[in-house]
Amino acid sequence: MANWTVESKRMLGQVLSADTWLPTEMPEYAQGFMYMLGSLTASSFVVLCLSGILLAMKGPASWTANEAMRFVAATHFWSVQAFFFFMMLHLWRVFFTGAWRGGRGMTWLLGAVAFLIAIPTAFTGFLINGDLYSEWNAVQAKDGLNAMGLGWVNLTNGGQMMGMHIVVLPLTLTVVIGLHITLVRMKSVVPPYPDLNSAPSEGGAES
Amino acid sequence: MNPRTDVVKHYRMVPEDFVKHLFSTLVVVIVVVLLASIFFNLPEQQPLTIKGYASANPVPFEQMALRALDGTGQIANYGPPYNHGTGNVESVLQKMTGVIHPLNAETDFILKPLAMAASINPSITPNLRTFERASRAQQTRWESAYTAALTKGVYRNGVVLTAKGDYGPLPALMNETLALGKSGLMSGALIRNGSVITRFDNQNYLLFLQGAPLQDDPATQSMAGGNWGIIHPAINGYPAAWWMTIPTWIYQWGFVANSKAADALALAIGFFFWLALALTPWIPGWNRLPRYLGVHRLIWKEFYRQQNQENRTSPIGGTKSAE
Repeated sequence: MANWTVESKRMLGQVLSADTWLPTEMPEYAQGFMYMLGSLTASSFVVLCLSGILLAMKGPASWTANEAMRFVAATHFWSVQAFFFFMMLHLWRVFFTGAWRGGRGMTWLLGAVAFLIAIPTAFTGFLINGDLYSEWNAVQAKDGLNAMGLGWVNLTNGGQMMGMHIVVLPLTLTVVIGLHITLVRMKSVVPPYPDLNSAPSEGGAES
Repeated sequence: MNPRTDVVKHYRMVPEDFVKHLFSTLVVVIVVVLLASIFFNLPEQQPLTIKGYASANPVPFEQMALRALDGTGQIANYGPPYNHGTGNVESVLQKMTGVIHPLNAETDFILKPLAMAASINPSITPNLRTFERASRAQQTRWESAYTAALTKGVYRNGVVLTAKGDYGPLPALMNETLALGKSGLMSGALIRNGSVITRFDNQNYLLFLQGAPLQDDPATQSMAGGNWGIIHPAINGYPAAWWMTIPTWIYQWGFVANSKAADALALAIGFFFWLALALTPWIPGWNRLPRYLGVHRLIWKEFYRQQNQENRTSPIGGTKSAE
């Protein structure tokens, strides 16, 4: 069996390298708006975390305290909308470009897992709002979780939802997104499909 | 061509300022979020409170309280994880969960709150004792009779009145429950934990209102499952959890909507949709689809155009290799 320390050192050297995280050149095909969607999703997640930290400092009902806290809550609300909006566009882009090719299956899988975890992360946030949407969806969605044998996740328990929303789920999501982005950086973005129409025919004539 | 290795081998690397790229996207998001927050603020819809419901709907409130007392209410007969009822048990998994959030609607929703109210209003105590000491058969007779009477109940001078009948202490007890609801003290009586002084678990408050009060509320109708539920906001015009469109759509399928296990079915099918997405790279056929859809030709239009141009001008064809 290989030396674990040597192997870890080799892996970490690659993962923690400035060359991995701060590239000074990109493939020519990875240009334009389509290649901003992943970064826009990650940026939305950063804004979500920052606005969430501001809200968490004063507690779950602080958004009702005054107009300033309402505004902070509004930025949290709109950044989750931005997060899912850009994530969906990113998902369409990576699907239509077959982004799993060339040994990038795990990158794709981690992205899908991030999407799955993002759903309850957002939902638990709606639940601790304490408004009518929160109240209604807590009692409606509990039946689904109970039916799936997940009754220990008690959607009507504001304290549990608070813990899930500000610690358990975002930390898990951060790790998964982190791994996803690490793989993207290490393996770079998928090259195009060899376009059959553009392949040179004999003698270099137009295809 | 192997769908997992089907990539071009030759392309150029071009200069990139990656840090600037990241800052640009961050600035874009911050500006969009700030503008949306300034112009649209928050979708904020006042919740339905017990006090609000009791004050606005005294007769339905008593009918709901009576269903909690006689065991015919949705939560009273729900099943795991709240109690041993059978009314809302959808799967074996649900049964296996067991009663992990114990809730007895009769005592937790009605009798205990009344006992607490009796400590500041001793006139409740005799009626409460009469009810608790009566046989179960007697209690059921009173409950059935009063349930029928309440269908023609009227609210006058702060109490619900019905035609005379043999209802035992129920009219007094239900009016005391109504008074407790209208006072705003019901929340304190429902959200109890003798071990700690914090009140984070509001389960009983929400479950108290989860039946008719919320389901018959005009404000919740657009958010009902049959109306594509969760993807609709409480205030029209705002976005909600639109990313739940596929699970919500599954709820609309006939055999799902009409099933007694609608939630279990919808979520299980929804999970398979996600599984198909997550395992795309390894699903034969499905993992080749994007190549045939051809959308990639639009996304990489410029790359292919240049590749074509270079192929035409180069006697040997091909571009420089990045490898």
